[in-house]
Amino acid sequence: MKLTEREQDGVIVLEPKGKIMGGPDASLLHDKLYEFIEQDKKKFVVDLKDVEWMNSTGLGIIISGFTTLRNSDGKLKLANVTEKIQSLLVITKLQGVFEAFDSVDEAIQSFNE
Amino acid sequence: MKEPVIKGNTIIVPSSLEYLTNIDDFIEGILRGFGTDDSAIADIAISVSELVNNSVSHGNKASEDKTVSVSIDKKGSDVVIVIEDQGDGFDPEEISNPLDEANLLKDSGRGIFIVKSLMDSLEVNKTETGTSIIIKKAIA
Ligand SMILES: Nc1ncnc2c1ncn2[C@@H]1O[C@H](COP(=O)(O)OP(=O)(O)OP(=O)(O)O)[C@@H](O)[C@H]1O
Ligand SMILES: [Mg+2]
Repeated sequence: MKLTEREQDGVIVLEPKGKIMGGPDASLLHDKLYEFIEQDKKKFVVDLKDVEWMNSTGLGIIISGFTTLRNSDGKLKLANVTEKIQSLLVITKLQGVFEAFDSVDEAIQSFNE
Repeated sequence: MKEPVIKGNTIIVPSSLEYLTNIDDFIEGILRGFGTDDSAIADIAISVSELVNNSVSHGNKASEDKTVSVSIDKKGSDVVIVIEDQGDGFDPEEISNPLDEANLLKDSGRGIFIVKSLMDSLEVNKTETGTSIIIKKAIA
């Protein structure tokens, strides 16, 4: 997994690429997410376009960020959920928990509504 | 970092999550050799990654002098994978349901549930040296 991050219109966009399977790569995503949360950033989009698959470690990181932010008036949303990850979200009943958008721009836009 | 040991269809690694990608490359390579389609490769690779994470963290309790071994075979139309660690094992029936309201937003507790959903079967056995977990999935 590789990770890039950027800020667009006040929203932190995290773009992991590859497979989120645990170990040092997954820690990178966790640590980056929490680094921004500690900087008091409130709006996050995780762009999953280039994530081939993830496992419970990846889901755990995203859900943890989601709940931490929700408890402090922040929000974490998903963009470009691929088929494999969508079916994982369905299996684990998390698809009803996350707001998911077909593009990063739509996800960012949704923070203004 | 020590090198993984590969013997035929078996890979043995020191008990550390640093080796997850080595195991994934190995397993996906063999599955491709079996002619497995991409979707089934992903399901099996996700399941193996779950079980290796567990063997390192829960089974071997992250002590790096222990090892995790993963073997893969094809029996008829079934892909059969055996993951072994040196821990005390667990009863997969005893694991709490991650879909329960009280568990839905927890950070962890989904691994075995995901494996059971993606694979046709999961079996946990005690061995002389620890625990072996056998998962199977029919591929086209
Ligand atoms: N190889 C193993 N050896 C010993 N105990 C295990 C093993 N695999 C799983 N377990 C036990 O089963 C429980 C459930 O495992 P599962 O993978 O479903 O969740 P988790 O590892 O706790 O969290 P997650 O996988 O979501 O990060 C573990 O907490 C552990 O107690
Ligand atoms: Mg697990």
